[in-house]
Amino acid sequence: MNEQEQAQRQFIVNISQRLGRPMPKTPPEHPFRGAPPFWKEHTRAIAADPARMIAQFIECWQQAGGEAKSFPSLDGLRTFIVDTATEMKARAFIRHRHPLLDELKLEEELSESDWTVWDGQRPEEMKNKANAADIGVIVADYAVSATGTIVTMSSADKGRSVSLLPPMLIAIVPASCIRSSLGEVMSQISAIGMERMPAGIHFISGPSRSADIENDLTIGVHGPGIVYALIFEDR
Amino acid sequence: MKATNEQTVLERAKQALNDEFLRNAVKLTTEKLKNGRLSAAKQLGNWEEWRERARQIRQHTIAHLDYYLNQFADQARKQGVHVHFAKDGKEAVEIAIRIAISKQAQTVVKSKSMVSEEIHMNEALEQNGIESVETDLGEYIIQLAGEMPSHIIIPAIHKNRKQIAELLSRDANETLAPDTAVLAGYVRKKLREKFLAADIGMTGCNFAIAETGSIVLFENEGNARMVSTLPKTQITLMGMERIVPTWDDLEVMATMLPRSATGQRLTVYMSGITGPRRPDDGDGPEEMHVIILDNGRSLQLGDPEFQELLHCIRCGACLNACPVYRHIGGHSYGSTYSGPIGAVLKPALNKNVLEWDDVANASSLCGACYEACPVKIPLHDMLVYLRRRKNEAGAGLCSEKWMMKGFKVVMAKPHRLRAVLKAGRLGQMPLVRDGAISAHLGPLKGWTAYRRFPALAKPSFRERWPHLQAELKEKARRASVKEHVQLRLKQIREKRTKKTGGNRDE
Amino acid sequence: MKVSIMITCLADAIYPKVGEAMARILARYGIEADFPQLQTCCGQPAFNSGYWDEARASALTMLEAFQESDFVVTPSGSCAGMIHHYYLKLFESDEARYRQAEELIDKTYEFSRFLVHVMGVTDVGAHFPHKVTYHPSCHGSRLLGVKDEPLKLLEHVRGLELIPLPYAEDCCGFGGTFSVKMSDISGAMVSEKVDHVLETKAEVLVGIDLGCLMNIAGHLRHRGQSLRVMHLAELLDEGMGVTA
Ligand code: SF4
Repeated sequence: MNEQEQAQRQFIVNISQRLGRPMPKTPPEHPFRGAPPFWKEHTRAIAADPARMIAQFIECWQQAGGEAKSFPSLDGLRTFIVDTATEMKARAFIRHRHPLLDELKLEEELSESDWTVWDGQRPEEMKNKANAADIGVIVADYAVSATGTIVTMSSADKGRSVSLLPPMLIAIVPASCIRSSLGEVMSQISAIGMERMPAGIHFISGPSRSADIENDLTIGVHGPGIVYALIFEDR
Repeated sequence: MKATNEQTVLERAKQALNDEFLRNAVKLTTEKLKNGRLSAAKQLGNWEEWRERARQIRQHTIAHLDYYLNQFADQARKQGVHVHFAKDGKEAVEIAIRIAISKQAQTVVKSKSMVSEEIHMNEALEQNGIESVETDLGEYIIQLAGEMPSHIIIPAIHKNRKQIAELLSRDANETLAPDTAVLAGYVRKKLREKFLAADIGMTGCNFAIAETGSIVLFENEGNARMVSTLPKTQITLMGMERIVPTWDDLEVMATMLPRSATGQRLTVYMSGITGPRRPDDGDGPEEMHVIILDNGRSLQLGDPEFQELLHCIRCGACLNACPVYRHIGGHSYGSTYSGPIGAVLKPALNKNVLEWDDVANASSLCGACYEACPVKIPLHDMLVYLRRRKNEAGAGLCSEKWMMKGFKVVMAKPHRLRAVLKAGRLGQMPLVRDGAISAHLGPLKGWTAYRRFPALAKPSFRERWPHLQAELKEKARRASVKEHVQLRLKQIREKRTKKTGGNRDE
Repeated sequence: MKVSIMITCLADAIYPKVGEAMARILARYGIEADFPQLQTCCGQPAFNSGYWDEARASALTMLEAFQESDFVVTPSGSCAGMIHHYYLKLFESDEARYRQAEELIDKTYEFSRFLVHVMGVTDVGAHFPHKVTYHPSCHGSRLLGVKDEPLKLLEHVRGLELIPLPYAEDCCGFGGTFSVKMSDISGAMVSEKVDHVLETKAEVLVGIDLGCLMNIAGHLRHRGQSLRVMHLAELLDEGMGVTA
């Protein structure tokens, strides 16, 4: 037993003593796990209606100060991104490596711009690229309609910096990834298993904000201040 | 206004009450947060059921804290985290400094952590020649001012825009306009450089998930993400009670914490961090440490009156609901944690009721804190328990002790009460004008500075009763609707004796 | 049926008229209440200050005074709250007293709750042609859950215009010994409460707890304001007198 484990033992024994019993050897009975039953029923009903989930997601995301729009085709999605980026005069982009983004071929449409594809290599260079980029483009792993949230999980292809460092974020949300409640995403995460857990799981619900100065809401304090959630109706 | 420890709550409160900006700022902000919470609760629906579920989960977790904390530590270690345990603030600081020195760290960037404030981490880092930078906008401001946070959620609630502009201008070496966008823009630029260059990122921990060894951070600005993404080493400071068993349980906490704190459905960022970066990841810390702190927390376990303190999720709702906090602000409490939760936490964590000053007295016991608390901690009851413990330890005010002795003597026997009232009426005679007393005298001095005190009535109800009885008898005899009412009374009494009904509230 | 009055020390010593009004209202419905002389104070002042032995001595008089009663009615949400919420704790180590406390809890009602829930009365047939605002006391509403009952009773009073009190649920700053020990904070709180009361332009402030009413009235007078402050029982009794 190393020093840290020794300290852990002592610490835990003290807690058991204070609680007046030895530490349970088997997992304690946990009858109250997760959300109350009425909520699960409620969100199950919403989950049965994809159009309703999309509408709810868009409403919540917009209320938080983000932009959201739904697209039935990849072409429409591509045109929208190109137009928006052009209008914003964005010159440097960084994106996740993702089949959907490969298929979108934004690099070809915006060929004047500097494009970086995150692949986990050359960390220092990637970091600087992300810091210098105007727009980060990602594909969300999940989205939650009840809270207007997108979820992105880190991997070699999906750097955390992409959704964080640039002042603007475009997140493409495949409609098939939208869930009605946080709980549905949580149980997916539980099921991943210890070996394959991503290091960073990020739930994002709008533009970076602060009300620390006299209660005056300001956006883009540290993270992106402009955030687009673009739903691609893939089902 | 900087709070010093030598002053009593009363003195600090007096200063705060005379500071008009402070009073207004605190009032407006807490009002806004409170209304945010109320409308978020309404929008969600079934708030009481959610609250009960949140309480159940917290209660279950704390009642099995040994098991879940152990599980958390084991799982986090499997994910490559160095897990440290510290029994007090000093140990926690030592561990953190040791890590920093071994990394030859020059700069630590920090995201908001109440634990860090509790153990005075910044001072320790600075003493070891390590620059320590708070990166939450509000925390950065108060760090520049050299002050303590005055609110759990909005640390710089007590500073106005002009004061902030002055502080930041000095920091920038140029004059910044007192404009929120300008000021926030400056901080963004300045701190971005710090994030990119820092050796260590230090975070707090809102929740820790036992089943996977993950820590979870809630924030709106993105600074906690920066701190846990860019530096090569991450140190997370965690109070030992931050555990929840599973990700499923996190849904409930994520439902309650943001709504109770600011009225948001969810904070802009909620990040679950499980170990350092994976071998082929391009960012995230290469090394991750979690320091788990006791510092008086375990003393609450097994104490039936205070164990629930460990259920607290640090949402700040009790501060926003508290009329006393709204009037005097956070610094008056003279500790890291302010408001109702602070008033209980401070003396309870130290388990030293003798040293603790009058902070538990600074409450009218109105119960607004309990009503606001998303995990139903009965703070107003705990304040009474604290007062009792202080008296039991023999540290009560002497004058009060004698007054209460008198109370006992008089109230234990009705005839003594009758006699005292009579004597009181004689005693008050010279003071009464128009049925009220306004002289600033004796124990009533504080009262009469703000109010007139009503005179004792003559006769008292007790004395008047024999005469009243005759009148009542006559009225009752003439009453026309009595059968219906009598029947209801009978039914309700029967239900009660059959134990099928009663008049309990809970 | 034995319905007993728990007068509370404040009403006994300072506001006996409130007790009288309450008793008269009950009598009008054929309930001839009695007044057990053994009672003193519920013990709250000592309890809240952390003097539990002293509180217990006082609370004992209540356990004994009302042993024979079928119902106990009190013009104070705060004292009823004290009994409902803390008597079990106060007597937890004495089995016999604990059982007595349970019984007392089951039969103790705050006045407006007794009227509405036990007697089934929401319209007492009163007439009171004034602008009135209502302050819900913290202990009555939060500890005891008495929220709608007083409003229901007021809504049915003829001629009465009920004006909502802004920030009604905010504490008035009384808090028993708090108002003496922390008089500056308490003073700031009551002053804010009075600002809100005056904002309503009501002629009468009504409530169900004499501690709070004494506090608010005291500050109103201190500021030279003559707005009437009444207990709900007084208002109803006065209004019933008009029609009776
Ligand atoms: S005591 Fe309750 S309301 Fe206060 S901070 Fe803790 S969880 Fe929030």
